[in-house]
Amino acid sequence: METIAVYWESRIKTYGFQRITDLALIEFSYPLSEIKALGEILSQDDLQMLRPKFMIAQESDQRISFILCLSVKEGRDFHASLEKPPGPTPRRYIYPVGIIFFHGPHFGDRYGIADATFSTLSKAEIQVIASGCSSSSIFLVLVQDDMDKAEKALGETFEVPK
Amino acid sequence: MEKLKIEGLKLSLELCQFDLRGPDSSEKIVMGISKVLASQEINIEFLTYYPNRSNNHQLTFCINQDRFSDTSRILKKEGSLPMGWEMSCRGHVGIISIFPHHSALKMLALIMVSWGKQSIPIHGIATSLSAISLTTDYHVVDKAVEVIQGLFQLPDNHAPLKPELLYYQSAMVKED
Repeated sequence: METIAVYWESRIKTYGFQRITDLALIEFSYPLSEIKALGEILSQDDLQMLRPKFMIAQESDQRISFILCLSVKEGRDFHASLEKPPGPTPRRYIYPVGIIFFHGPHFGDRYGIADATFSTLSKAEIQVIASGCSSSSIFLVLVQDDMDKAEKALGETFEVPK
Repeated sequence: MEKLKIEGLKLSLELCQFDLRGPDSSEKIVMGISKVLASQEINIEFLTYYPNRSNNHQLTFCINQDRFSDTSRILKKEGSLPMGWEMSCRGHVGIISIFPHHSALKMLALIMVSWGKQSIPIHGIATSLSAISLTTDYHVVDKAVEVIQGLFQLPDNHAPLKPELLYYQSAMVKED
């Protein structure tokens, strides 16, 4: 039996904004047909200690591109390890970046959250380096210097607990 | 060998996935598409955005399968996408979210190896504070879950894998 609950929310509620700063963003790609081999590379002992703060992967042109945000030290070491064959192809290293992430009581259930987020950032002229929205959370990777401005703008759009 | 412990596993309903790729245009594409979907009261279940290789930007998103035709039609309409942008879509995908106990990367590596052996595709990945979400073809979701259950140990009292309660944002404004 399907149970449906309906609610109405005038201003989208959040549990507040959290941020992580001083991160490095690393992008690398690998042939999609060899994803098992990539799994084996990422299973290596020296990579098992990595604790990405954010990760997305996208499929494009028969390759899969990964974007990871790591602490500066982890990012530097990981980027160096990617350059050793037969690892994946490193594409980009961006430092310093920060992450703002947030979720709310109805994230995942309702429409309009992505619109509210990206319209707000666009109006405030804040560039989004990367984003991932899943499991009722929104993650935004931004230039570190834009973090305060972004949080202020988002705080005016969303309801934040006092 | 002792299985790695995870805290939970969750499956989405049947979804569809759109991949939009094109040059430059920065995050305006994300704003434009999310606005169109909001105007149609379509909930985005999963989204990733990144200006990837060769300065091509890519926006991937998943929505409920029952909105596939509407959304395809809207996005195929001339002028819906910026110049030079292309769209590809998958009509039937599912999201499997794993709530890791320890290292997300270690778990992801194990899943990639095991799914690779079974030819289970990965169409997208996104992490949040507590979960790793992977999109795959809907017809292999059960097989993909079976592989994950073979790799990791779920708590005895874990929540149901499929959602039992659906919430909708009402279009009606409540009157006091």
